[in-house]
Amino acid sequence: MLQRYLDPSVLASISGLELIARTVVDGFIAGLHRSPDFGFSQEFAEYRAYSEGDDLRHVDWNVYARTERAYLKRYRGETNTQLTILMDASASMAYGSHQVNKLDFCRYLAASVSYMSNQQRDSVGIVVFDDEIRNYVPPSARHGQFMRVLHAIENAQPGTRTDFEKPFQHCANFLHRRGMIVVLSDFYAEPDRVVRTMEPLRSHGDELILFHILDPQEIRPAIKDPVLMIDMETQDEIEVTPEYMKTEYRQKIDSHIAEVKDRAQRSGIDYFLIDTSKPLDEALRDYLLIRQGRA
Amino acid sequence: MGFLSPWFLGGVLAAGLPVYIHLLKQHRSEPLKFSSLMFLERRAQSSVKHRRLKYLALLAMRLAIVLLLALMFANPFVRRSAAAAGGRKFVAIAVDNSFSMRAGDRLGRAKQAALDVVGSMGATDRGQVMTFASNAQMLTQATSDKGELQRAIQGIQPGDGRSAYGEISRTLRSLGQPDGLPVEAHVISDMQQTSIPTPFAELAIPPSMRLRLHSVANDREPNWYVESVNAPRSIFQPKKVRVQAVVAGAGTPAADLGVELVMNGRTLETKHVKLGANGRATVEFYLPEAAYGMNRGEVRIPGNDKLAADDHFPFAVERKEATRILFISDGRSARSATYYKAAIESVPEAGYTVETVSSDQAANISPDKFSLVVLSDVGSLSSGLESNLTDYVKGGGGVFVALGSQAAARRRVPVTGDAIQETRYASREGERFQTAGEVDRTHVATARAGALDEVRFYQTIRVTPGKGARVIAKLSDGSPLLYERKTGEGRTLVFASTLDNVANDLPLHASFIPLMEQSAHYLAGYDTSPAQYLVDSFVELRSARDAGSAVDVLDPDGKRALSLKESATAQAFRLNREGFFELRRANGRNELIAVHADRRESDLDIVPKDTLALWQGTGSPESQSGGGPAEQQTRPYSLWWYFALALLVASFVESLFASQYLGAEQEPQPAVRRKAA
Repeated sequence: MLQRYLDPSVLASISGLELIARTVVDGFIAGLHRSPDFGFSQEFAEYRAYSEGDDLRHVDWNVYARTERAYLKRYRGETNTQLTILMDASASMAYGSHQVNKLDFCRYLAASVSYMSNQQRDSVGIVVFDDEIRNYVPPSARHGQFMRVLHAIENAQPGTRTDFEKPFQHCANFLHRRGMIVVLSDFYAEPDRVVRTMEPLRSHGDELILFHILDPQEIRPAIKDPVLMIDMETQDEIEVTPEYMKTEYRQKIDSHIAEVKDRAQRSGIDYFLIDTSKPLDEALRDYLLIRQGRA
Repeated sequence: MGFLSPWFLGGVLAAGLPVYIHLLKQHRSEPLKFSSLMFLERRAQSSVKHRRLKYLALLAMRLAIVLLLALMFANPFVRRSAAAAGGRKFVAIAVDNSFSMRAGDRLGRAKQAALDVVGSMGATDRGQVMTFASNAQMLTQATSDKGELQRAIQGIQPGDGRSAYGEISRTLRSLGQPDGLPVEAHVISDMQQTSIPTPFAELAIPPSMRLRLHSVANDREPNWYVESVNAPRSIFQPKKVRVQAVVAGAGTPAADLGVELVMNGRTLETKHVKLGANGRATVEFYLPEAAYGMNRGEVRIPGNDKLAADDHFPFAVERKEATRILFISDGRSARSATYYKAAIESVPEAGYTVETVSSDQAANISPDKFSLVVLSDVGSLSSGLESNLTDYVKGGGGVFVALGSQAAARRRVPVTGDAIQETRYASREGERFQTAGEVDRTHVATARAGALDEVRFYQTIRVTPGKGARVIAKLSDGSPLLYERKTGEGRTLVFASTLDNVANDLPLHASFIPLMEQSAHYLAGYDTSPAQYLVDSFVELRSARDAGSAVDVLDPDGKRALSLKESATAQAFRLNREGFFELRRANGRNELIAVHADRRESDLDIVPKDTLALWQGTGSPESQSGGGPAEQQTRPYSLWWYFALALLVASFVESLFASQYLGAEQEPQPAVRRKAA
């Protein structure tokens, strides 16, 4: 039943971002099958013999009582990761053909990923950017970090144009510890240029995940009459016809998506295309797969 | 090429409508915010242009529709030679059968001329035969059957109508161009001068029509005729009835004529009269006797000329009992009765006899025996008599009430019951007398009453007319002088003064006689219809009150002129020939009507040749020169039919384009909606 809350249009009616994140994650977890490939950080993984210097808090005293040997309980999630979310808040992210626009969808996804990471005691940070860094919360696992990240997500407003160089340059300067970097954007830029700005981080050893957020009307537009299209970032105008949008535009957007994916994968960057009309569980599933592989 | 109705070309301005729709309205795209124009290239506009070009085809079709519509209504034509029509033509043959065509063998010659025209028609020509007098009457449809045309011509009978060349020209104008053929009109007549309309323009025929005039009268022929007869419609006292007849000559030398008065087939009297050249004389007869009922009279002159039909003039006389008027007064003064009787009996044609009684004597007299009752300042009226009078009026009778000081004592008007307010006397110091102020001349009683404002009223009775009363005349102070009240089927006229030359000096004025006479006519229901009618005039058969009742008309041959349906519904009847018509009206009255031909037909003077040439010249130019080879003639040929066909095709193509361009898009999906940031 909780899975219906993964639908973005349902989430749009929930006011609090934290509540959305909890709802999404709880609904997502409730729908998972038991699988060794998936788990939460509190799941038991194995016992390991105590060695000097280990934290006594993790000793399983029940086992010690039965066997008089000290064993430590190990959990899958105990391998902490530093997660940094780069959220695109350019003007184009305000586009939406249905109840949830791309920026709203990014908010839900970022909040949900943050919540999951917080539950796993991972360090979480966020960078909100358009052509400048609009907000930055450094990654941390301290108490209250989740709320700071949520606050940053909540306050993200559509800005101006997109420039990927500055946020990644910022990350390269301030992120010294290796970790995961999740990029949420519609990637309206040259694919080669986008990926080249990310390659230094990748070579630094960070795990990069690109969530390409697009509205269904951006992928398969349908218009009946000639319309005057106004660019939400540049305010440029072009009059287009339904025939053009059905043929050439679709070819171009498909080619762009394929090129971004190909260019990213060639650089060892994970890429996922997200349709904002689809439930969030696909994105979360993709994230967890990457997260588990890293663990 | 030209246009028969060029003002319709103004409709071309409507072409601005599709231009507005296509160029101004069509390209107004709705702005839509989109995330990025990264994949929308400038060359995408070429697609729009292409689409606009396709719409331009639709625009062209719509413009073509508007233009074709305007051109079609403007009725374009081209001039084509008659040879292009295969030499065919439409021949309209109009034969005059008016009263003057009875002279000699004019009608026979006219029929022969018409037959000659039919004989000269080509095998493929189409023709139509018509007769005309005051109206044109089609005898055949347009046909190529010469036999049918000839039979129609041979069947033409002389009529009694008056010829009107303006009417036949109007009929020829209305023919247009049947089947697109050139029209050749033949008017065959005696070309009587009196039939030419005063505005010559009424004779004009279309320029495309070729007019040929055939005259069957070469010279003016002398003709004597009875021009008019003045005889009373009804007679009551034969010794006083006078019949006046006017005899005249047109184109005639001086002559002695014997004029006969004939009643019911018997010659009563013959008088001789001398007429000068083209002269006119009046003959008077006194009817020595006339039988009760309807009498057929005639004034005759000897038939010394070729037009014998106008040598007699019919008139109808009905002898009947005099109309009785009961004059009731209070018996103290006979002055009012004297004046009234003198006024009424000065009009012998009306046939009124006045019986004077006092109000006491009147109590034993039934008013039903009288056509009119006059109450002259009656002070006392027995209840029985007043009741009888009320019933009499309700049943359709008429009462004239004159009010004086005696009547004012009753405080109410007899029969009508209207309240009498006061007796008003003109003072010596003040106004001294009153006059009639406002007079309604549309009422029958006062229509011919002359100058009532010269009458001095010294004493009047102020009355408040009851509801529904019609005030006919008012005094200078605005109080009613004469008013009418309708009660049931009858009428009452109330006069607020007396008839005795005491309270006023009305009996001494000339307006007294017509006022009394017309009032009597009105109240007694005197028939004022004319005694004689012209041929082709109409007689009213029934009034609105007589709807549904049967009427009957017998023509001069004694045959019924109306069908059963017409006798139940016809409102009027056209008197189409000379002679005596018997009418039985819806109210049961029988009448004899004398109908005579218009005597302008008796003047056989013919139209000058230059006038005929002028008339003929209103048609095509070759009409003046007597016509030319058909192959050399050009005639307008209308092209509207081709434009209508092109309009149909353009409409079809436009609908195809419109359904192709403006139809619903395939793969319908929800439109991109603008989402506010």
